Amino acid sequence: MTHDSMTDSDSGTDTQATDGGRESLASNDLEGSDPTTEPLVDSSIDVDGRSDAPASADRTVIESNDLDVYYDDVQALQSIDIEIPAEKVTAIIGPSGCGKSTFLRCINRMNDLVDAARIDGELLFEGKNVYDDDVDPVVLRRKIGMVFQAPNPFPKSIYDNVAYGLEVQGIEGDYDEIVEEALRRAALWDEVKDQLDSSGLDLSGGQQQRLCIARAIAPDPDVILMDEPASALDPVATSKIEDLIEDLAEEYTVIIVTHNMQQAARISDKTAVFLTGGELVEFDDTNKIFENPEHDRVEDYITGKFG
Amino acid sequence: MARQSYQDKLTEVREDVLYMSEVVMERLRMGLDALEQKDDELAREVIEGDGEINRMYLDLEQDCIDLLALQQPVASDLRFIAASFKIITDLERIADLATNLGEYTLDAERDLFPDVDVQEMGDLTLDMLEDAMIAYDTENTDSCRELAARDDELDQFAERASEIVVRDLIERELESADEVEQILQDVSRLLLTIRDLERVGDHTVNIAARTLYMVENDDELIY
Repeated sequence: MTHDSMTDSDSGTDTQATDGGRESLASNDLEGSDPTTEPLVDSSIDVDGRSDAPASADRTVIESNDLDVYYDDVQALQSIDIEIPAEKVTAIIGPSGCGKSTFLRCINRMNDLVDAARIDGELLFEGKNVYDDDVDPVVLRRKIGMVFQAPNPFPKSIYDNVAYGLEVQGIEGDYDEIVEEALRRAALWDEVKDQLDSSGLDLSGGQQQRLCIARAIAPDPDVILMDEPASALDPVATSKIEDLIEDLAEEYTVIIVTHNMQQAARISDKTAVFLTGGELVEFDDTNKIFENPEHDRVEDYITGKFG
Repeated sequence: MARQSYQDKLTEVREDVLYMSEVVMERLRMGLDALEQKDDELAREVIEGDGEINRMYLDLEQDCIDLLALQQPVASDLRFIAASFKIITDLERIADLATNLGEYTLDAERDLFPDVDVQEMGDLTLDMLEDAMIAYDTENTDSCRELAARDDELDQFAERASEIVVRDLIERELESADEVEQILQDVSRLLLTIRDLERVGDHTVNIAARTLYMVENDDELIY
């Protein structure tokens, strides 16, 4: 797979890509164009303004307006309106089939990969509708990284797992430095610094997931989407991931889908409750949701009276 | 309904709290009766029964801790357990105050202050406690707010009663040192009785405050 074909494809920054076949991914000396500075759109929307933006408490980074999603004739999401704040952890909870993963996948256009999916309404990232024709999903996914339920490292060295995303996206810089920084931020560096050349698949499940998080943050995204990132891990590995998520929220906007309500309660600042039918029923501060929710249906769901 | 055993445990806690409150009210009634009738046997029954209430309290506390640790209650369930956890502490304290009445009965030998109606004050506090527990059971928030006002009346009652006792003490012309010693004991015992009943009222308001929080997430009465 060449660099260009990766850019043109619909694969995300963290999808289970096949082996790119490169011998060394550590090279700074990339061939081809230099898409590092490629904006999300051709116009001059400042999608990279995160570092310059004032750290105001509730700046909205992701916003949906009247968002509907259909899989063929089945409506998966019904007119979702939500404003997700920057540099906070937002948890999305709800019963199976409520559309929470669908919503997550709308944010970085992972649903583009599903032929039957149709999307109406707006989904704004930094004020720009990500479904506009001039948005390149690959560039979008550099800004909005993703971590999946099962750890899915590439069958490559630990180093290359982190560097691979940088390379395919044509990101320049000192890869040694970026890889170390990403592994440090993912709280994995101390455990793997002496074995960077060994396979990512040799790590434990919890370490693999942190490796995937390192891979997701290496390109320095603004938003990290996580779909049940700890559901396949034991309690100790889960605690590490949860600590990590809280740390990540100091620099990134984290949106996490979880079936584990206590996990949502532990780590999130805001909680969105989706209920059957693809409806966002309540979105509020996490302590409000878990201490005194506004809606009876949310109360019934979180106390386990149904679902 | 899902989580049936969890729901059953919540119901059990509610029933056990109500049962504990009935026993506590009974002990308070017995303490007041013992005081009124100078019934030493009844007084000892109240004092000896305190251990039973302490055990109920500790059992209920453990039940609440188990529910928190094992069931991770949220929303109204969480508020119910948090409120119940606090309410049983107030009930246990009220039972301690009832045993105080038993102790005063054993110490007292005569009633020097017929103008101070301890029984009326006791009836007021018992009524309040009963209404607070009904409010907890039926989630009646109006009743919770009323109880705070009724406690103000009880406080005024206590203040007037204390004044009568102290004024009487000042006006009394005492002859011997023995007489002074005796009257001092009587006066301090009566002042303590008034204060204890006034404290029952405070604990009752606490119960109403936690009930209001439990039902409406409103901390208006918690202070």
